[in-house]
Amino acid sequence: MPAGGYYALLFGVPMVGLFVLSFLRAQGFEVVVDFSFANYEKIATSPLYQKLLVRTIRVGIVTAAIVVPMAFALSYLMRFVFERRGQLILQLILLSLFSGYLVRIYAWRTILGKQGLLNSTLQWLGLIDEPLAFLIYSDYATIITLTGILLPLAVLPIHSAMANITRAHIEAARDLGSRRLHLIRTILVPMALPGVRAAFAFAFLLAAGDFVTPALVGGTGGLMIGNVVADQFKGIGANWPLGAALAFVTLACVLVLYVVIVRAIRRVTMW
Amino acid sequence: MNELVKGILNAKFTADVTRRHFVQGASGLATLAALPSLASAEVGGPLNYFGWDGEHGANVAKEFLASNNIQYQPSFQSSGDEALTRFNTGGRGTIDLLTPNKDFQKTILAAGVELFQPLDMARIPNAAGLFQAFREAPWLIKDGQVYGVPLIWGDEPCVYNPAKWDAMPAKYTDFADPKYQGELVVLDDPFGNIWLFAKSIGAEDPSRLTAAQLEQAVAALMTVKPNIVTIGASFADMADVLVRGDASIGIGGWAYQAQIGKEKGVELKVASPATDGTYYWSDSYAIALDAPNVDNAYAFIDFMTSAESNAAIAAELGSGCTVEKAYELTDPGLRDLFPYDYVRQPGGGILGTQVVFPPQEPDGDIVPASAWVEAWQAFKLA
Repeated sequence: MPAGGYYALLFGVPMVGLFVLSFLRAQGFEVVVDFSFANYEKIATSPLYQKLLVRTIRVGIVTAAIVVPMAFALSYLMRFVFERRGQLILQLILLSLFSGYLVRIYAWRTILGKQGLLNSTLQWLGLIDEPLAFLIYSDYATIITLTGILLPLAVLPIHSAMANITRAHIEAARDLGSRRLHLIRTILVPMALPGVRAAFAFAFLLAAGDFVTPALVGGTGGLMIGNVVADQFKGIGANWPLGAALAFVTLACVLVLYVVIVRAIRRVTMW
Repeated sequence: MNELVKGILNAKFTADVTRRHFVQGASGLATLAALPSLASAEVGGPLNYFGWDGEHGANVAKEFLASNNIQYQPSFQSSGDEALTRFNTGGRGTIDLLTPNKDFQKTILAAGVELFQPLDMARIPNAAGLFQAFREAPWLIKDGQVYGVPLIWGDEPCVYNPAKWDAMPAKYTDFADPKYQGELVVLDDPFGNIWLFAKSIGAEDPSRLTAAQLEQAVAALMTVKPNIVTIGASFADMADVLVRGDASIGIGGWAYQAQIGKEKGVELKVASPATDGTYYWSDSYAIALDAPNVDNAYAFIDFMTSAESNAAIAAELGSGCTVEKAYELTDPGLRDLFPYDYVRQPGGGILGTQVVFPPQEPDGDIVPASAWVEAWQAFKLA
């Protein structure tokens, strides 16, 4: 079977099923076939879901805004500054992918916790008297942890795209009077744009869709739309149709935003 | 045989042994005790478990599983009602064993939802040794058929670090005191948390709340929120937060967390607010509908229901035992934590009558479970 067939069967069909489900109604433990827009109306009128959606998108954008430039800088360093050691650095960056997702989150807890590595070091150096509580169980912790987890994934496509850029390109641009920021904006980013776009997709979509990291390090405010979608599919108090509608509203918002942002990046980096 | 086992276990308790040694010893003896009854059963091959981490009993049943050539494949749920989701999303026909709690199982059976299969109690002879309340547990029986064999029971106390606190306050609402700022962790459980705070503000039946009562309970929770460090994703995660020292009191915890702390060198104690108290639970082994390895499931449940196994799993999980003879084999320090008078009486006293889960559907003014879930989400987002 061609790849498209697998994709249609394993992704397309379940998505269509989920989409149909979003127009049905939950009654007790049953799903009642009673087509309506009630679930979408509930989402549109509920301050809870609107706040969650905004919060989820904010976490996704902030994470991507940190991860993509970091991945770009790392890729640049590997490609042009530490050219000989580039592969070694890449292997070291990718090393973290060999550990489990949960293990990496708990590792960040060990680093950021009240009695964690960072607070202990700062106290030992005499820079703080009390542990910095905001380092863990906060939005900061969520974004730092997501950045740590997603950075290797974002480095890969940008590094690959940069392989097509040669020193000759850079030198030619410099000869024509292009300075550093101008060079990045008009030469490097446009030439590496497919990689930047893929890196942004990884960082933004995975951060916005994640609900495990915020639950484990985000503290009392660590709720994302993904948690609420998951709650709607649990046994007691579940509402599968509402969960499906929430998933599709989130998907639509995130995709629209993704397209807008990628177009904006392309426009900014054009002449 | 039983006297021999009892003697050996008593000797082990009085000696300076670790819990792990006890569990290993007890499981070995229990395996020996169970072997004759398995002679005619067709056991061997896979056994798929989906339930709480710890209750799978892999430590206790290690030798039993090996000697019967059973390949045990446990996977764990993160909430008490996740089994239904797993079952309905491709899990049917793949899961053998489940560990539902009493409220969940009662709700599912009452609603007539397909999940559990009725048990052939003749294949679980050790179930005759259960305490009376568990032998005739009303939450496990429907139309005269039994749907589960109780494994352990207990309450949801506060778990605290005695290096920081001498005792727990009288009421859950007292946790709003600023002295608890940055010290609390709760479980991500809408039903347990709202129930405790509804009780604290004086709701007559905290499982049946009107919209106004639900709002008041969540408002009470909100007064405590500034002092909460994080919301634990599971009991183990909550224990991790306590062990790391990121919080010093877990509200609505499990005595098992004190055992986890002990293993990691952190002393944790359990106590409940004296005025409000807490609620009781019991988890059972149940067999899923269309379970592919029913013979293994029956053999395993019977093995785990022997006095020795039951004492071992209760010790391992810091919980109450459900088998009468296991009581004598249980460490006095552990068994004194639980009011065994309840389980010696028909119906189980408060264990049988107390309900935590709200109704699934609205009932007059009483709001359904979905309203509790939404209120909990609003609490987390606020």
